[in-house]
Amino acid sequence: MLIRALPFLKTTALLAFMVFTCLPLVQLTLLSFTATLATPNMDVGSLTLGNYRGIWTDPNLRSAFLNSIAYVLINICITIPVAIPAAYAFSRISFLGDKHLFLAFIAFRITPPVVLTLPIFQLFSALGIVNSTFGIALAHCLFNVPISIWILQGFISAVPKEMDETAFIDGYSRPMFIWKFLLPQIASGVAVTAFFCFMFSWVEVVFARILTTTNGKPISMAINALFGFQTDIGLVMAVTLASMLPGVVLLFSMRNHLSRGFKIGRV
Amino acid sequence: MKTRSNVGWTFVLPALLVLGLVGLIPLITVVNYSFFEIFILDSRFWVGTEWYSEIISSGRFWASFGRSTLFSALILTIQIPLGIAIALCIPQRKFWVGVSLCVVALPLLVPWNMIPSLWLSLLNPDTGLLGRILPAFGWPSDWKFSVVPTWLVIIVMDVWHWTSLVVILCYSALTTVPAAHYQAAAIDGAGPWQVFRFIQLPKLYNVLLMAILLRFMDSFMIYTEAFPINAGGPNGATMFLAVDLGEEIKAFNYGPSAARSVLYFMIVLTVAWMFSKAQGKLDDVPTEKAA
Repeated sequence: MLIRALPFLKTTALLAFMVFTCLPLVQLTLLSFTATLATPNMDVGSLTLGNYRGIWTDPNLRSAFLNSIAYVLINICITIPVAIPAAYAFSRISFLGDKHLFLAFIAFRITPPVVLTLPIFQLFSALGIVNSTFGIALAHCLFNVPISIWILQGFISAVPKEMDETAFIDGYSRPMFIWKFLLPQIASGVAVTAFFCFMFSWVEVVFARILTTTNGKPISMAINALFGFQTDIGLVMAVTLASMLPGVVLLFSMRNHLSRGFKIGRV
Repeated sequence: MKTRSNVGWTFVLPALLVLGLVGLIPLITVVNYSFFEIFILDSRFWVGTEWYSEIISSGRFWASFGRSTLFSALILTIQIPLGIAIALCIPQRKFWVGVSLCVVALPLLVPWNMIPSLWLSLLNPDTGLLGRILPAFGWPSDWKFSVVPTWLVIIVMDVWHWTSLVVILCYSALTTVPAAHYQAAAIDGAGPWQVFRFIQLPKLYNVLLMAILLRFMDSFMIYTEAFPINAGGPNGATMFLAVDLGEEIKAFNYGPSAARSVLYFMIVLTVAWMFSKAQGKLDDVPTEKAA
C-alpha cells in the first residue's frame, strides 16, 4: 500500500518544500511592485513599477550592480587558476603533508568571517585595497579557493589516470598536460566551480561591509544604505529581486550540469 | 594509486600564497592581538593569557557557547534529514530535475543581509502573507518578546536559506549511483528502505560529511541572519557566539575579541580534524564494494 503511494508522497513532499521555498519570494515580488511610501500622485499599497524605475535612476544602485559584477568576476579569475593546479595535486600526487594541508584549507573555508574581519581590514588598508572591488574579491578567496579545490578535485579524480600516463609517455610535462588534456575534460567542472564561487561571493556581506566604508559598495551594502528613518521597503525589495536575477540566469543555464551531478571529493 | 612526489607542493603553491595572504597572516595577527591590551593599535601592552582565563571563567562565553551548540544541533537534525529526503524526492525526468533544482536553489541567491528583512516582512502583521494568517492560529504578533517564537523564526529562516545546499549536494551524490545497482536491487526484491539504506546512503557518506561540516560551522557562527532579527534578544536568548563577538568588536575591545576569535578558530579546527578522522574510518570500510 505504502509502496504504491510512494511516488505520490514524493511529489507532494517536493511540492510542499517548493511552496515553502517560494513563500518569502512571493512576498518579495509582491512588495517590489507595491508603492510603500506615499507620494503626491500615488497612494500607499497601489500597484506600481516605480520601484524598478527607482533602481534605474539611482546612480548609487547602478554602480553597486557594476561593483558586484566586477568583484565576482575578479574573484573567479583569481580563484579558478590557483585552484586547478592545487586540485590536480591533491587528486593525483601524494606529497609530504598533503592530508594536513587539505585539512588546513578546509579549515579556512569554515572559519567564520567575523573572526578575521579586523586583521583583514588592517592588512588591506596597509596594502591600499580597502574600498575597492579588488579588495573584496581577494577577501572572498578565503572561502572560495578551498571550496573550488574541493569541487574540482572530485572532477579531476573522475578523469581516468591512464590519460596522464599516456600524455607523459608522449613527452608532455604536468603543466602542459593540465592545460592541453585535463582542462577540456573538466570544462563542465570548471563551470560548476565558477558558479559556486559566484553564488558564495555575490551574497556575502561580512567582508563586503567592512571593506567598503565609502565607495566600491556591492549591492548588498547599497541595499543596507536604503534603510533609514523612512525606509522605502518596496524599493528595497525591488533591488533585492533585481540582485537575484543574474544568479537565476546562471542557475538556469547550469541546471543540466547540476542535475547530472557534479563530482564531489572527500574532505 | 597516487604518484608519490613532493612536486605536489609546487602545484598547491599558488593556492597557498592566496590563502596565506587572506587567511594565515590575519590569523597570526589575531593570535598576536589576543595576548595584548590594546588602546589604539600603536599603543598596547602584554597581558599574557589574561583574556583567555577571563573568557573561559566568564558565564557569558559559556552561555553563548551553549546557545550556539543547541542551535547547531537543532539545525543539523532538521536540515540534514530534510535535505536527503528532498533530494530523494526530485523526479527522474530530465526536464523536471532542472526545474526542481532551480526552484529549490533560489534562497541561496538572496543577499544574506536581506534574508532577515524578507522574513520580517513576511511575518509583518499588517502586510505580511504569514503575518496576517498566523495570529488566527494563536501565533503571538509580538513574537519578538518571547524566546520560543524568536528561536522558531531564526530556525525556520535558516532551514529556508540553507536546506537547498544540502539538497543540491545530496542530489549530485545520488546521481553517481549506477543504474545497474537499482536493477540488481529490484531483482533481489529490495524495498525502498533497503535501496536507500544499502545503495544510496553509502554513496552519500562523503558528501554528507562535508554537508554536515559546512552546515555545522555556518550555523554555529550564525551572525548576519540572527543579529537583525532580534539583536540577540529577547533578554540575550539569541546571543550566539558570533553575535557576541560582533558586539565585542563593535565596542573596540580588540584584545578580548581577538582572544575569542582564537578560541573559535580552535573549535573550528577541532571539528574539522574530527571530520577528517571520521572519514579516515570510513575509508577502512569497503562500502563501495559492499554496495
